[in-house]
Amino acid sequence: MSLTETVQQARRRDLRIPLAAVLVVIALAAPYIGSRYVTHSLIIALIFMLPAHGLNLLVGYTGLLSLAQAAFFGIGAYTAGLLAVTYGTPFYVNLIAAGVVSGAIALPLGIPALRLRSTSFVMCTLGFVIIGQAISKNWVSLTRGDMGLSGIPKPYFELGPLSFSVSGTTNFYYLALAIGALATFAAWAIVRSPAGRNMVAIRENETLAESLGVPTWHYKLIVFMLSAVFAGIGGCLYAYYLTVVSPLTFQMYYSTTMLIIVLGGGAGMISGTVFGSLLFVGLTEALRITPELRMIAYGFCLLVLVFWFKKGFAPLINRFWNVIGGVK
Amino acid sequence: MTVPLPLLEIKNLTKSYGAVKAVADVSIHIDRGEIAGLIGPNGSGKSTFFDCSTGLARPDAGTVILDGQDITGWSLNRIAREGRMLRSFQKTVTFKALDVEENLIIAGQMFTFPSIAATFGLGKRSRSRIDGLRERARELIKMAGLWDVRHQPAGNLSGGQQKLIQFASMLMPEPKLILLDEPMAGINPKIIERVVDTILYANRSLGVSFLVIEHNIDVVTSICQRVIVLDQGAKLVEGLPHDIVQDQRVREAYLGG
Repeated sequence: MSLTETVQQARRRDLRIPLAAVLVVIALAAPYIGSRYVTHSLIIALIFMLPAHGLNLLVGYTGLLSLAQAAFFGIGAYTAGLLAVTYGTPFYVNLIAAGVVSGAIALPLGIPALRLRSTSFVMCTLGFVIIGQAISKNWVSLTRGDMGLSGIPKPYFELGPLSFSVSGTTNFYYLALAIGALATFAAWAIVRSPAGRNMVAIRENETLAESLGVPTWHYKLIVFMLSAVFAGIGGCLYAYYLTVVSPLTFQMYYSTTMLIIVLGGGAGMISGTVFGSLLFVGLTEALRITPELRMIAYGFCLLVLVFWFKKGFAPLINRFWNVIGGVK
Repeated sequence: MTVPLPLLEIKNLTKSYGAVKAVADVSIHIDRGEIAGLIGPNGSGKSTFFDCSTGLARPDAGTVILDGQDITGWSLNRIAREGRMLRSFQKTVTFKALDVEENLIIAGQMFTFPSIAATFGLGKRSRSRIDGLRERARELIKMAGLWDVRHQPAGNLSGGQQKLIQFASMLMPEPKLILLDEPMAGINPKIIERVVDTILYANRSLGVSFLVIEHNIDVVTSICQRVIVLDQGAKLVEGLPHDIVQDQRVREAYLGG
């Protein structure tokens, strides 16, 4: 009995590596399989996956519902845009700067906001997006207001003697894929660490966690900052992809999109966020072909989600992992 | 000869909620290795007293000295982490979505990792720390009689079993002192025996001192060496369990006479 179980488990576990290999091949071959439009949709999905990973750490793992992601997304986009246009710094410098600046701005915002409880905290984070948009519109000397920053160059790398620009949709896709893969790995590493366990403890019962010595306030602040770093990096990529940054980057619609990715894909699951970005962003981009039906179809999808998949796709993904991973 | 310092010394603790004085000028001490009981009728300020002593609430006045160190005004997590004084809650609480083993590992983490930054590590050092915690967790799970359910989510278990999880969790960090808020409330007699055994084991084998709020007078008289009685926020009397049960003032307080 136990022997057959082990054999079955061993045989099943083998499936994970082939699956990973297939996924990697599909991811790498995607620009050559689909049309350029598909590649474009995938790039947008990969870009939104970054703030979604950050939001998943906050909502899915720590249990803090935030609508501020679009604010940090915008801050990252503006940071990268300003640096690229004004100083002509290479892409990777701007990418890191976008993450660092967003994370740093999250600190003074998080300190008062995290003192608030549940609904008040959500309202406060919503305010950040609105303030961000107001600043980007009105601080004309820095942001050029509604005109936005245009002429962001192609991602430019300068590595010793080697320097090159990433041009074309296909190449940008590989850049986004590489950054997306790194971010996914980073998010995975965070939730697998002992700190990730503390985050879940805070989500499950904050007072109990506190009584067992977990400095919950510090963890919440750190995770809030980390979520902003992810969003900032996503914003940088967005700015480079569109080559324009405008106050429209600070949109409530983006915050809700990121939230739908996380909740719909399966909160508290890294693979859920990856799946969610492909489904909810890739799908909406793909639906742009029929603009008149797009929002109706999107709304319908959300209704289906709310009524039939209350926990998003998490249970389905879990079952899938169990089947191919050989757990139970 | 110097008198040994008490493990916990609380002096003149006072806490008011609006016009109501929940705790008024209460002073108590707990000796090393002692199991002390804290009893009193409902609303006599026991839980408020606990909250103020453990950092969940801030006292209006008074000092809390743990092991010679003034910890008044420390946060709940700091008192647990640095003072190794832990507390339970009246309502049984566990991390319901997590299995029993994970519940215990969380309880030990902040005592094993030197800093918050270190908890973000995934390296060898971090893994060996977690392995050590898992080993200790398994020992305690065995001791608490939860071995068969160790991989089940805590929320699926009975109230009594969750009490045992809560209890075992508090033993993870090798505490000096544990404050229990009604550990026997709402659990069946069989589990009461097991909780009593665990308290005595922790006290005798692990050297943990206890302050226990409990309404079950049989449990109080059988495990406590000393009992403190609160009434209307003030200390009424303290003494040996046997004397307390006989005390006329205590009887009157309970009967509202």
